[in-house]
Amino acid sequence: MTATNAIPSKPSALRKVGGKLAGLVLPGWSALVIMFLFTPIFFLVAMSFNDFKTIFVWTKFSTHWWGDMWDNTTMIDALITSIEVAVISTIIALILGTLAGLALARKPGRWTTGFVALVLLILVTPEIVDGAGQLSWFVKLEGPFREGLTPIVLVHTVFSSAVVTLIVRARVAGLDARLEEAAADLFATPIRGFFQITLPLVMPAVLSGGMLAFTLSLDNVVATSFVSPAGTTTFPNYVFGLSGGVIRPEVAAMSTVFIVGTLIAIVAVAMVLRRGGQSGTEIATTFTGN
Amino acid sequence: MTATIGATAGPPPQKFRLRAPKFALAIPSIIWYVFLFVVPVVLVLVNSFGTKVAGTPGKVDLSSPTLERYREVIDGSFRTVLKQTMETSILGTVLCLVISLPVAYFLAFKVGPKAKVAVLALLMVPFFTNYLLRTLAWKIVLQPKGFVSNFLQDSHWFTLGQTLRDGPIQVLDSRTAVQLAIVYNYLPLMIFPLWVALDRVELHLREASKDLGAGRIRTFLQVTMPLAMPGIVAGLVLVFVPLSGDYVTAKLLGGVKGNMIGAAVAEQYFNAQNAASGSAIAVSLIISILLVLAVVAGVAWFAKRLLAINRNVKVPAR
Repeated sequence: MTATNAIPSKPSALRKVGGKLAGLVLPGWSALVIMFLFTPIFFLVAMSFNDFKTIFVWTKFSTHWWGDMWDNTTMIDALITSIEVAVISTIIALILGTLAGLALARKPGRWTTGFVALVLLILVTPEIVDGAGQLSWFVKLEGPFREGLTPIVLVHTVFSSAVVTLIVRARVAGLDARLEEAAADLFATPIRGFFQITLPLVMPAVLSGGMLAFTLSLDNVVATSFVSPAGTTTFPNYVFGLSGGVIRPEVAAMSTVFIVGTLIAIVAVAMVLRRGGQSGTEIATTFTGN
Repeated sequence: MTATIGATAGPPPQKFRLRAPKFALAIPSIIWYVFLFVVPVVLVLVNSFGTKVAGTPGKVDLSSPTLERYREVIDGSFRTVLKQTMETSILGTVLCLVISLPVAYFLAFKVGPKAKVAVLALLMVPFFTNYLLRTLAWKIVLQPKGFVSNFLQDSHWFTLGQTLRDGPIQVLDSRTAVQLAIVYNYLPLMIFPLWVALDRVELHLREASKDLGAGRIRTFLQVTMPLAMPGIVAGLVLVFVPLSGDYVTAKLLGGVKGNMIGAAVAEQYFNAQNAASGSAIAVSLIISILLVLAVVAGVAWFAKRLLAINRNVKVPAR
């Protein structure tokens, strides 16, 4: 603060050295952080090639768990449940979020403040709180809310549709409203206008929102562990349930499949967006929910 | 949705379309959120004033509202766990910020466009790797006979190795393990918002600052940081809040010593079948989070005022 009216000094030798060092420090630090982020994932994948019966003690290299894992029907069922829940909840989240996002961007009014506040509240409420509440509520409601995929799907849609809403709103706000007005002037019905003009224009947002909703559903553990009815479990929650005891390398193998599958889905969506003319940085921004 | 679909046949007259309320398209979402978010959260709030009905799985008696559950939280061991959780969360958020800031800065200003996309893609792999599986992976790394332990003990160049060689290193089932894994788990969630916030700072504003004679550090502190502040604050909140409610990490890696309050909530619901007590702990968690945020916001506001006064003294009155 004291330097407010100091005269700019000549770059001293010390400062030059400092600048050089700074030039090394930033990339070096970033590389270390990236290595840190990859370390545990590397070990998890490596342990799928362990010969021994647990992922916690390495003995020797073997691929036998990659074959054995397909016989673990509980685990396969959990994986299938995960995918089913993710697909259904993504579709619901996309419908809800796209409509709400459109309304927020195109029909702003007094209602927007309250609605945006609710959406943000959903995003910042600790999952443990809504998970606990949803459990109590579903226990009261009974019936379909305590059976099969329904409770898990419902719980996943809440958070992910909020995310889709914000992404779609941001996209629509950047579009020219006159395009839709032109469609209406040219006698397009609201439905035709929506499917032929609005939807193609917001498609990039719908795609990235859908990708996020899908991965958020696959990622969810906390709320799922609260509302899962007896006999239905997702893959992460199956692994969570095992975590007290021995975990066999087949779990690591299936986890690898799970991780790689998720990444393939993301790369596919990114490639579609890229062809649609978005830059890599833009894609990264939307994908990470910013 | 139905309101707009209602007006389908032929080119719609303007007044006919105006009849739907502005928020018509948001109605499905509103119903959805009330049913699946508002009611459950209110239920948690209400249940926290109730009493467990003995012998039932999680039934709550609300006939005589009481603050007894909150007294149990304040008097019992929950308070220690709550305090521990807040410590872990605050330290975790600060560590995330300190570790992420150089990476975000590097990404925003110091790499070319091609390299930037490559680094972003690399960072996205852990971001999208399943959260539970990443935490489980730490259990492999931190085993007493595992990688970290062996590395510290076996490397000859590492002088500490001598002292540490006596026995397996016990990191698992401790607060250290939880702290480490929590920083790890929330790091990508911090890097991306920070990067976006910094990336939005116009380059020519930074150049102008340098042209006017400010050094790197002053440019960073007085131009870049203030402009990126809204994004940084958003990043901090979006890491701190879910981190405070985390229970998976504590359950997997914390053991008895590294407990977090989220695990206590789950405990009450699943094992003790006491939804009343679980709700009171959950509400206490939210209150603690809001308190911490309020204190931080207050301090930040005060610091800003102080700086403003400081500046006013220096600049001669017009």
